[in-house]
Amino acid sequence: MSTAMNFGTKSFQPRPPEKGSFPLDHLGECKSFKDKFMKCLYDNHFENALCRNESKEYLECRMERKLMLQEPLEKLGFGDLIGGKSEAKK
Amino acid sequence: MGGLWYPGWRGVAFCGWRWIHPGSPARAAERVEPFLRPAWSGTGGAERGLRWLGTWKHCSLPARHPALQPPRRPKSSDPFTRAHVEEWRRRNKTTLTYVAAVAVAMLGASYAAVPLYRLYCQTTGLGGSAVAGHASDQIENMVPVKDRILKISFNADVHASLQWNFRPQQTEIYVVPGETALAFYRAKNPTDKPIIGISTYNVVPFEAGQYFNKIQCFCFEEQRLNPQEEVDMPVFFYIDPEFAEDPRMINVDLITLSYTFFEAKEGHTLPVPGYN
Repeated sequence: MSTAMNFGTKSFQPRPPEKGSFPLDHLGECKSFKDKFMKCLYDNHFENALCRNESKEYLECRMERKLMLQEPLEKLGFGDLIGGKSEAKK
Repeated sequence: MGGLWYPGWRGVAFCGWRWIHPGSPARAAERVEPFLRPAWSGTGGAERGLRWLGTWKHCSLPARHPALQPPRRPKSSDPFTRAHVEEWRRRNKTTLTYVAAVAVAMLGASYAAVPLYRLYCQTTGLGGSAVAGHASDQIENMVPVKDRILKISFNADVHASLQWNFRPQQTEIYVVPGETALAFYRAKNPTDKPIIGISTYNVVPFEAGQYFNKIQCFCFEEQRLNPQEEVDMPVFFYIDPEFAEDPRMINVDLITLSYTFFEAKEGHTLPVPGYN
């Protein structure tokens, strides 16, 4: 990525993720949620804003099955989806 | 300088800048002359050097006529110009001293820069890249910037010695800054033995990389895949809303996230891209 002579150019500093690493879902427990999310993405031309419910459900699945630390959903940026009503999509 | 026309010298005194053939015998004596003078001043030395090459001819004829003598043509035989010669020498020496002092100061400054920069980084907290401090409660309060749509494209790479099949499950995703997004990669171990991999990531363009915050992903930790196992690997990330306010990011609409998996072996350290 960077050759020996690029002293002046900016280089990329990778940062570790804020909440660490996802444990691997070896048993495929949340696979159905993932498939739902992927289907939503495909149907909506890969717009993330329209599939946030599905991503919320996937993360909830992970949290239930201890594949992810329990976090209140507001801290994950889903504050607007908590009440069950979806936000006005873009 | 134009020709110094002096009527009395008309026949021979076209004293001006003109081209002269180096081989011209008529001027040979005048070319040699300055170098035979013991008190040859450095002033106008470039002219002398060029003159020796025969490029410019600075006429020396007025030197024989004191009234016409330009101040830049000293002769040691003239006591008036000897003082000038001394003066110019003194000035040259002073200038040389100043220049040498500046050069040494520059050298010293470059050596001093290392601890000074370290001190500066400690006081301002800028660890090499200016990153606005982001805490997890920022995620709660961040407001998506809805009018700035960014395309995130995904790339997956595997080190040559790692025999996994690793690929993204979506080629791109459209997000806006301030909105958390989920993306998936898939990895399969087609071999008959468990393999442990560890990954790192890269974001291009580099300047946008400072706004790319991963909440959780699968990088920098060893991930073990059993034989013939296939898993989904999610990445949960968001683009900092301050991205929309950075003037350097005005033309950035595509951000590429690239993950590379390496085989984790005992004693191997992960090659982190970039200079550290």
